[in-house]
Amino acid sequence: MSPLRLAERLLQLIPVLLGITVIVFFMMSLTPGDPVELMLGDARATPELRESLRRDMGLDKPVHERFVLFLGNAASGEFGMSFHHRRPVSQVIWERVPATVELTLASMTIALVAGILLGVLAAVRRDGWIDRVATVTSLVGVSMPGFWFGILLILLFAVTLGILPASGRIDYAGEVPFVTGLLLVDTLLAGRLDSFLDALRHLILPATTLGLAMAALLMRVTRSAMIEALAQDYVTFAEAKGLSRARILFRHALKNALIPTVTAAAIETGTLLGGNMIVETVFGWPGLGRLVVEGIFTRNYPLVQAAVLLYAITYVLLNLCADLLYATFNPRVRL
Amino acid sequence: MRHALMIVSVTLIGALGTPVAAAELRIGYSSDITTLDPANHRSRVTEGVIHNMYDAVVTRTDDMKVVPEIAQSFTQIDATTYEAKIRPGIKFHDGSALTAEDVKYTFDRLTKDNAMGGQTSPRKSLVGPLAETIVVDPLTVRFKLANPWPIFSAYLPFNQVVSKAFTEKAGNAGMATQAMGSGPYKLVEWRRGDALIMERFAGYYGGAADIPPVGPAKVDRVIVRVIPEPASRVAALLAGEVDLIDELPHHAIKQVEANARTQVLRTNGTRSFFIDLNNKKPPFNDAKVRQAANHAVNRQLIIDRILNGLAVPLATLISPDSYGYNAALKPYAHDPARAKALLAEAGHPNGVEVTIDVDNAFKEQAEAVAASMAPAGFKVSVRLWERTALTDMWKDPDKHDRQMQFRSWGDGALDPVGIFVPVLKSKDRGNFSGYSNAEVDKLLTAADTEMDVAKRSKLYEDAQAIIHREAPLIYLWLPQDVYGASKRLQGWKPSPRGIIKLHDASVQG
Repeated sequence: MSPLRLAERLLQLIPVLLGITVIVFFMMSLTPGDPVELMLGDARATPELRESLRRDMGLDKPVHERFVLFLGNAASGEFGMSFHHRRPVSQVIWERVPATVELTLASMTIALVAGILLGVLAAVRRDGWIDRVATVTSLVGVSMPGFWFGILLILLFAVTLGILPASGRIDYAGEVPFVTGLLLVDTLLAGRLDSFLDALRHLILPATTLGLAMAALLMRVTRSAMIEALAQDYVTFAEAKGLSRARILFRHALKNALIPTVTAAAIETGTLLGGNMIVETVFGWPGLGRLVVEGIFTRNYPLVQAAVLLYAITYVLLNLCADLLYATFNPRVRL
Repeated sequence: MRHALMIVSVTLIGALGTPVAAAELRIGYSSDITTLDPANHRSRVTEGVIHNMYDAVVTRTDDMKVVPEIAQSFTQIDATTYEAKIRPGIKFHDGSALTAEDVKYTFDRLTKDNAMGGQTSPRKSLVGPLAETIVVDPLTVRFKLANPWPIFSAYLPFNQVVSKAFTEKAGNAGMATQAMGSGPYKLVEWRRGDALIMERFAGYYGGAADIPPVGPAKVDRVIVRVIPEPASRVAALLAGEVDLIDELPHHAIKQVEANARTQVLRTNGTRSFFIDLNNKKPPFNDAKVRQAANHAVNRQLIIDRILNGLAVPLATLISPDSYGYNAALKPYAHDPARAKALLAEAGHPNGVEVTIDVDNAFKEQAEAVAASMAPAGFKVSVRLWERTALTDMWKDPDKHDRQMQFRSWGDGALDPVGIFVPVLKSKDRGNFSGYSNAEVDKLLTAADTEMDVAKRSKLYEDAQAIIHREAPLIYLWLPQDVYGASKRLQGWKPSPRGIIKLHDASVQG
C-alpha cells in the first residue's frame, strides 16, 4: 500500500471516531441513574451538598453544553475528572491499560500457537483422532462461558493442586520499577528472574481462559484453510517434485492457509478486549475492563466515555491492521 | 559424630518448633478503594481500608459506643459546642506531631465550600451543622455547631484526621494516591485495582485507650488485595493465598466451615431490608392490606432457607443493635389466616394481584417473599430491573403507580436519624412509599434537636410503635455481614461498622 493510500485510510477513521464520540456521549448521558445519588448512597446528604457535587461533576449544565465540554476535554486528552476517583480520567485509565495489554498479548500468543498448531494437525490428519478431538474441543471452547471456565481453572490449579495462584498479577514482596508497565518485560529489565517467573505464573490461568475461545476459532479457520490449500495444484506439484512433507506443509500450504487466520486473529483481538471485562473480574486482574464495568454501574460518565472511545480507536486500528496484513500476505489483494 | 548429629537435629527441631512471628497478613477484598484521601469520597469500602492508616478524633467500640481515639477526652460544653483534648505525643507517619491545627485543618477542609481545590468535600454532610473548628491551645480544639445536632459525636468517627503540612504540600491530587495519617499502618504502595500494601507504623501511639490492646499493630505488613468475583475470593481463601475475605457468599459458607483451615465470622450488619408499599394508590393505601401483607410473609422460613440463617427478622426498620430501638415491638407473625381476614375486611375477599419490583441482585429473595405471600391471598409477580433504573422509577411517589419494591437502606451510624428519617418521614430523600404521618413527622423532627439521650430515644421508640401499627412497608430482615477467615488469623472480629481495622489482628504459624 502506498503511503498516500495509507494516509487516506487513516483520514477515513476521523468521521468514524467522531460518530463513535457522539454515540458514546449520548448513550451514557441517557442511561437512567443519577451519578450523584449513586455516589452518596444511603448516608446523610443535604440538598446543598447534592448541588455542590452536581456542580463539581459538571452535571448542572444542560446536555448540549456538557457535550461541548466533553469534546474539549477529549481533545485535551485529559477527559475531565473521574467522578469517584476525583482525579483526571486519563490518569485513572492509563494506570490500568498495561495490565490489559499484557493479558491480551499473552492470550493472543496462546491462541495463535495453539490454534494454528492444532489446525494444521487436524487438517493433515483429517478425520483422524486428532482431528476429531480438536474439532470437539474447539466446539466446546467456543461455546464455554469464560467466566465458568476461569472458575474451574482456579478450583483445579489453585485450590486442589495448589500449583498456580488463584488471582492477582504478581506477588507483593517488592516493587517492580515501572518501565513499560508490562510486568513480564519490566521484571526482565530489572534483572529479576524470580519476579518474572512469578508474573508468568499469575498470567497463565487468565490468559488461557481469555485465549481459549480465540484459539478454538483460529483452529477451525486454519483447519479449513489448510484443507483447501492441501487440495491445490501447487501442492500436488510440490509433491511431484519430491519435496519433503514438512517443506510442503509449512513453506507452501501453511503460508497460504495463514491468510484468513491472521486476519481473523486481528479482528478477534477486538473481541478479546471485550472478554477482558469478565476475565479480569474473575481473576482480580487490575486491568481496564474491570474499571469500565465498575464505571458503568456507578454511572461514572467521563470514565466510561473515555474508555469506550479508547476501545473504539483500538478496534478500528485493529481492523485496519487486518486489512494491511491481508494485503501483505496476499499480493493479489489491492486496498 | 553421633553427638554432633544429635546437636544438629535438636537445633533443627528447635528451629522448626519456635513460633515464628508471622510477618504478613493478606486480605481479599471485594472492591477496590477509589482514593486514599479521607475527605474526598463517599465509599464505605474506601473508608473501611483508610481507617488502618488514618485515625479519627473519636472511634467506636465493637458494641458501637463512641470513645476517644486520638483525643484524650471528648466532652460537650453546651448545646452547640464540643471540646476535644488531643493526646500529647501522637505522630504522623513522617514523624511530625499531630496538633490541634491538624484537626482544625481537617474539618475546615470538610466544611468549607470549595476548600478542596475549588471543589467541596462529598463528606460535608457527615459533619452536620459544624460551623467552625477553633484551636484553643496546641492540644485542644472546639467544635462550634450552627444549631444543636444530637448525633454530632456519632458521626465524628466517619472523618479521619489528616496532616496539615502534608496535605498542603501534596495538594488534593497528591492526597488521592498518598497517605499521611496517624494510624497503626503506613502506606507502602497502592497498586490501583490490584492491592494496597501497608506496613506497621513503629511510632504509633497505640490507639483508643478504651479498646485494648493498646500498642503498635501486631503484623509487619498488610496486603489488601482486590478480588471482586466471590467464587475467586473463596478460592483464594481456601488456597491459603489470603487470611480474610469479606462478603463471603452464602452458598460458600458450608465449604468454608468444612475446611479444616478456615472458618466463618459474622456480625449483624447495618442494612435493613424491606418492601416499599405504594401508600398512595390502591390496594396499599389501606392500612389493613399493608398489615395483611406483613402477616403474609414467612420471614423465618426465608431467612433459614435462602439466607442460611444469617439474618434477624425485623419488627420495623430499626436494627436491634441501634440506638433508640423499641424492644417491645415484635416482628409481624407469619399468619396467613389473619392476613386473609384482614384482606377480606379491606374489601378483597378474593385476594389481590400485585407486582413487586426488584434489583436483579435480589431476585431470589424477592421471589421467595412473593411465593410465601400466596397462601394469604396475595398473587405476587416479580419484575426484575437494573438498580438505577429502579431508583429513577420509584423515587417520586407522586409520579408512578408501581406497587411494591424490594429494597434496603444502610445506616452505618446505627442511629434512627440515618434510616427512619430518610425512609419514612414525609417527602424525605429515601421515602419512596409515599408514607406521610403528621404525628411521626412531629416525633422525628423533635428528635432532631433533642439533646437528652433518653428523651430522644423515647421519641424514636414512640414513632416506631406508630409505623409498626400502620405498616407503611413490609419489614423484612437485617442480614449479617459474613467473612471467611483462616484459622491462623487471631485478634480480629468483624465490626458492625463494616470497616476492616487490623490494628489488633495477627497471624499464627
